[in-house]
Amino acid sequence: MIEFREVSKRFGAPGRPGKPAVEALAGVSLEIPAGGVWGVVGPNGAGKSTLFALLLGFIHATTGSVRVRGLEPRRYARRHGAAYLPERFRLPGEWRVRTALRALARLEGIARGAAARRADELIERLGLASHADREVRTLSRGLNQRLGLAQALLAERELVVLDEPTEGLDPLWRVRFRAIVSELRDAGRTVLIASHDLAEVERLASRVVLLERGRVRSILDTAAEAAAGGVTPYRLELAAPVPELTEVFPEAEAIEGDVGTAYRVAAADATELSRRLAALLEAGAVVVSVQPLHEPLEARVRRELSAEADT
Amino acid sequence: MSALALAALALRARRRRVLALLAFAAVFLAAALTARLLVSRGEGGQIEMDRLFIVGGYPLVSALLLLGWVLGRYPLIATLVMLAGVISHDRAEGYARVYGVRPTSPHRIYAARAALFAAVAFAVSAVLMPVFDLIMLGTWAGPATFVLILAYVIVYGGLVTLLSVWTRGDAWIALLLALLALVWDALRRADALMIPPGVRDLVTFVLPPQAAFFALEGAFGALQPIPWDAFAYVVGYGLVLWALAGLSLVRREV
Repeated sequence: MIEFREVSKRFGAPGRPGKPAVEALAGVSLEIPAGGVWGVVGPNGAGKSTLFALLLGFIHATTGSVRVRGLEPRRYARRHGAAYLPERFRLPGEWRVRTALRALARLEGIARGAAARRADELIERLGLASHADREVRTLSRGLNQRLGLAQALLAERELVVLDEPTEGLDPLWRVRFRAIVSELRDAGRTVLIASHDLAEVERLASRVVLLERGRVRSILDTAAEAAAGGVTPYRLELAAPVPELTEVFPEAEAIEGDVGTAYRVAAADATELSRRLAALLEAGAVVVSVQPLHEPLEARVRRELSAEADT
Repeated sequence: MSALALAALALRARRRRVLALLAFAAVFLAAALTARLLVSRGEGGQIEMDRLFIVGGYPLVSALLLLGWVLGRYPLIATLVMLAGVISHDRAEGYARVYGVRPTSPHRIYAARAALFAAVAFAVSAVLMPVFDLIMLGTWAGPATFVLILAYVIVYGGLVTLLSVWTRGDAWIALLLALLALVWDALRRADALMIPPGVRDLVTFVLPPQAAFFALEGAFGALQPIPWDAFAYVVGYGLVLWALAGLSLVRREV
């Protein structure tokens, strides 16, 4: 659905005094199929927002091409529209929440009556009912972010682009936000989320694009990696060591730095894991806990970035 | 009209500017009323300047003459105030991106907005100028007033909109060009420009059409027939600016 082909974006003219040219993206090639949630992560200045700006046709690539459903992005947005929450979302402070949402719904091509109903629905859904007649400038950061989400969801768009969507949201609304994203994913939308909150991205996205200094450092695909290995690693904690452990889990190894009786074990699926655990229990072991063990996104990103720094 | 709903909201965001314009207009009317109260009208129904001189001397007469001169430029001021940042403000604040992902052309959005702002500038001017004339002169210039206002709104509305596609200093640059055109035209008419005729003609052609405005103002001030050829030139110049603004918007990054 989305195709970046050798895309570079340079800001500023080279040789201009006082304003050195900045290469925000360099040779980015990326294909994103329709449906699913993709995360875009990277340090500040990595090019996340530039990537989104190119994807939505706000800016033009210096070299290379971007296509969405085969169309130039600006043309795609004009024809099909996109749901978009910008980083640090803002609307003119004098506008009132309800009237602003209604006017934006009209821009979506929704008829007047339906626009009013849709705006009211989202006001309810995003918990803005008691603030609907307030001016935007009086909203707190969290409320403003919820307004940003509401405006992004006014129309049902195939492409959903959210830049730092959980910034300013309290824990309760982060949970609700996850539910919204799940709904979008289940409805077959293509959702792109850029965030510094790696734990949040990990919860939501099935694939994660790691950008660094304008380049795609890697595409982390946890589902595919687990499938490729054929086994899922687990952390198994026992009350006390038992000699039968290595018979039941031949590949078991103690986890360094963990409690002394925690082991990394592996099983192809839940059935095999249960069978092996049953054997272990029969041998007299006392199991304290079993948890799927995978490397958190944060650790993987840190590892990738430090590997880059080392080279 | 989805774009019109947004334009109405944008006008709401500029309500302070509208109030400032109304307050500025009120200053003119208050000055005219004061002059009217200070001196009785002459036979033609207008306020007699020599009587005003007796009351307040040179300062009062000069102040009123200056006020009259500025009043002739009120449509220009109103247009600059209303349209300043008509597009550039959205780019700078990031609102353009919020609108840009929706299937409504930015041309429709900004055409509706610029038209609404220009209409407000026209309306405020179209009330102020005849009322001022009625108080001061006991009569008004008739349709020539509206033609003059329309000329300013078309040319400077187009100029500010075109500049607004590219820079935040849109209204200031337009004001600078207006002043430059004023001085240039005065020098040209006085035959005081010591430059080759080709350059002189080119600069005159590129700058806002002050000669045409001068003709329109002359008709307005002297209660003469409207010079339609000057108006047609002004409209043509303004339409080119609006068209250039539209073309620029197609490729402009937001």
